[in-house]
Amino acid sequence: MTRKILTLAAASLMAAGTALADYPERPIDLIVAFSPGGGTDVAARTIEPFIEKYLEADITVLNKPGAGGEIGFTALAESKPDGYTIGFINIPAMFAYSYERETRYSRASFTPIANLVSDPGILAVRADSDIKSLADLVQFGKDNPKAMPIGTSGSVGSSEHLAIKQVESLTGAQFNHVPFGSTAPLRTALLGGHIPVAAFNLGEAVQFMEEGQIRVLGVMSDERAGMAADIPTFKEQGIDLVTGSSRGIAGPAGMPKEIVDKLSEAIRQAMEDDEYVAKAKAADVPLNYLPADAYATFLEATDKNLAQAWEKDPWKQ
Amino acid sequence: MFEPLLHALPVVLQWPNLVAIIVGTVSGMVIGSLPGLTATMGIAILIPLTFTMEPLVALGMMAGIYNGAMYGGSIPAILLRIPGTPPSIVTTFDGPPMAQAGRAAYALKIACWSSAIGGAISAVALMTIAPPLVRITLLFGPAEYFWVAVFGLASIAVLLGRDPVKGLAAACFGLLLSMVGLDTVTGHERLAFDSKHLLDGLNLIVVLTGLYALPPAIRMAEQAAAQGLRSAHLKLQEGDSIIAHIRDFLPVWLRSGIIGIFVGILPGTGGSMAAFIAYNETRRVDPDPDSFGKGNPKGVAAAECGNNADNAAAMIPALTLGVPGSGVAAVILAGLLVHGLQPGPQLFRENPDVVYGFMIQMLLTSALLMLFGGQLAFRVFAQILRVPPVLLAPMILCLAVVGVYTLENSIFEVWLMLGFGLVGYVMTRTGYPLAPVILGLILGDMAEQQYRLTLLINQGDWTSLFRSPLSLTIVGLTCLVLSWPLIQHLRIRRRERRAA
Repeated sequence: MTRKILTLAAASLMAAGTALADYPERPIDLIVAFSPGGGTDVAARTIEPFIEKYLEADITVLNKPGAGGEIGFTALAESKPDGYTIGFINIPAMFAYSYERETRYSRASFTPIANLVSDPGILAVRADSDIKSLADLVQFGKDNPKAMPIGTSGSVGSSEHLAIKQVESLTGAQFNHVPFGSTAPLRTALLGGHIPVAAFNLGEAVQFMEEGQIRVLGVMSDERAGMAADIPTFKEQGIDLVTGSSRGIAGPAGMPKEIVDKLSEAIRQAMEDDEYVAKAKAADVPLNYLPADAYATFLEATDKNLAQAWEKDPWKQ
Repeated sequence: MFEPLLHALPVVLQWPNLVAIIVGTVSGMVIGSLPGLTATMGIAILIPLTFTMEPLVALGMMAGIYNGAMYGGSIPAILLRIPGTPPSIVTTFDGPPMAQAGRAAYALKIACWSSAIGGAISAVALMTIAPPLVRITLLFGPAEYFWVAVFGLASIAVLLGRDPVKGLAAACFGLLLSMVGLDTVTGHERLAFDSKHLLDGLNLIVVLTGLYALPPAIRMAEQAAAQGLRSAHLKLQEGDSIIAHIRDFLPVWLRSGIIGIFVGILPGTGGSMAAFIAYNETRRVDPDPDSFGKGNPKGVAAAECGNNADNAAAMIPALTLGVPGSGVAAVILAGLLVHGLQPGPQLFRENPDVVYGFMIQMLLTSALLMLFGGQLAFRVFAQILRVPPVLLAPMILCLAVVGVYTLENSIFEVWLMLGFGLVGYVMTRTGYPLAPVILGLILGDMAEQQYRLTLLINQGDWTSLFRSPLSLTIVGLTCLVLSWPLIQHLRIRRRERRAA
């Protein structure tokens, strides 16, 4: 029995060895855990031809939508770690699910390859609002606990929801969380004056900010964001909060390092391609390349933060 | 206002762009006519193929698919009572009775004209009054959307027909289906039976295809004997002229067109609701409301005109605010993003040729519907009726399975669709109407979500539902629609009393 296993292992190692040398030698599946036409799908299909160019391989986008992405993430976690199945993962949503319900994956089920996009969270009000700064909002939240509704683009457990909870615990103010489920209706409700404050991502606000229709109170990034250099961060305004949503590419756990490096390198080249950079800039996509090891560190830190947040105050009973 | 349009016109008229809209319109008609395949899916599949194209070529194809599919859906709706797209459910009310009476060709022609005119009215609205219309979009908050959903649900009253109890039961079944999935507010799983596939709720297309496409297939298999309609039925009969009845159709088109535009600019409502309300209103003001549902040409005209008038209008909030007015508008937005065009207020200033070019394309593709839909389509598609049911039944089944599988690349959806097929078969056999189920599924979700948002924002104060004048107006309209049958009834009684 043992011998059989050993032989099998040896055989698979040998197979892996030959595969490594000329990887990639057949088309690669790129799992997107959302429907065609969604934000992640568009991002995937936009960068796909550029990765193909530098990896010199065919990449097929495979949409596996369902359960807010969980079905696709699970499919990715359970695929063969041979480098021919990779997929987009969305942080922190992917990890948040594993606290809210039983998922068939955890952080250990993935091999991080590279981060592509980091879109910091923001709090925004309509341009004519009385709330001029983050301090105004916090003060109101202290004076009138739970009176100020803040709309979020996600549902319970989204990065925006957790961000509001963090603001509350850091400042002592209390707000009224209103989950809109997606960005477009939230932004329209903000423009129409139906919700006074909204939490969503910077990339989806820039154009409306430049038009003077909304005012961004603060950006939840470490340093000022390139696309909104005159908007102060939360840190500058005394609230130590850095969060947002990010998209990256990962594979199932146990992928050979050579393949990860090759993929990661091709993604870096793709993201530096002038044509791609121009496209991303026009579409207000905040690019942020992280190579495999830095991405792994980031994933670990995010997961730990989530674990702490869940421990302290579970966002779903 | 017209200067940017005139500037964009020569670009639109370049031959690659013209070829694109022709290819788009024809393929849209085919996609729309196949149950299970929708414009949303067609455009989504097209997006990666458009990388190397000029933006306007890509958008031209999308505009064509959009308008084409919304008309194409009416073809199986009329010929087989199977809606090719969700909005064409409404066309199944009067289309098939006309076909049974031997007026299939006339019904197809009305659908084609009405779709084209609805699409054209809507495109003109998009070109001329998009900015003021956007302001209307902004007036609608959660409370107003809740009442819009209730208004839509009220039109179920019209669909009840002779057996209101069965109709209401079907509507409740639809509302129940709309509750499946994750609760956005609390994150709890509802009616998901521990299946990950149900967490996002039921896909409308899966339910629609199951309920509508499978029962006819089962019935055809039962009948087994070949009973294709005689080809004489495919020709227009004497008196089946739209021009001769233009006075009847013009007010229907105008009313349905305006309804479609208004529904279109409200994000999240979509063509189904436009078609339902347009049909409802046309029936309500008609001197002979009882003839609807029994093959009244005006019913087909209202449904198709309303649903195509939704098309370009749904692009108004999509282009200016980045909020898609329908599922199709959402994938068109994605197509814009792929070409580095970020929808929003700056789009009009930075890429006027693309935006205004797209508007012209929406108008041109509507006109193309007349050309292809009129002659080509009903010559080709009407041949379906010659196929013996023994062959047609497995063909429908195959199309339904393939269409539903490609939605999410998952076999679970196929089983779900087959399950709904059985439910649909039992329902039709026992005389339960199917349309209220779909309406309940579409609007139940919207009504619930918006109701809860309103109460959350206002900390449980339910008077907030009635606070804005706009809310009150929609409440008033809903009451009017609901009490109309009663008013009509009282009027007739008074008239009878006077006569006696």
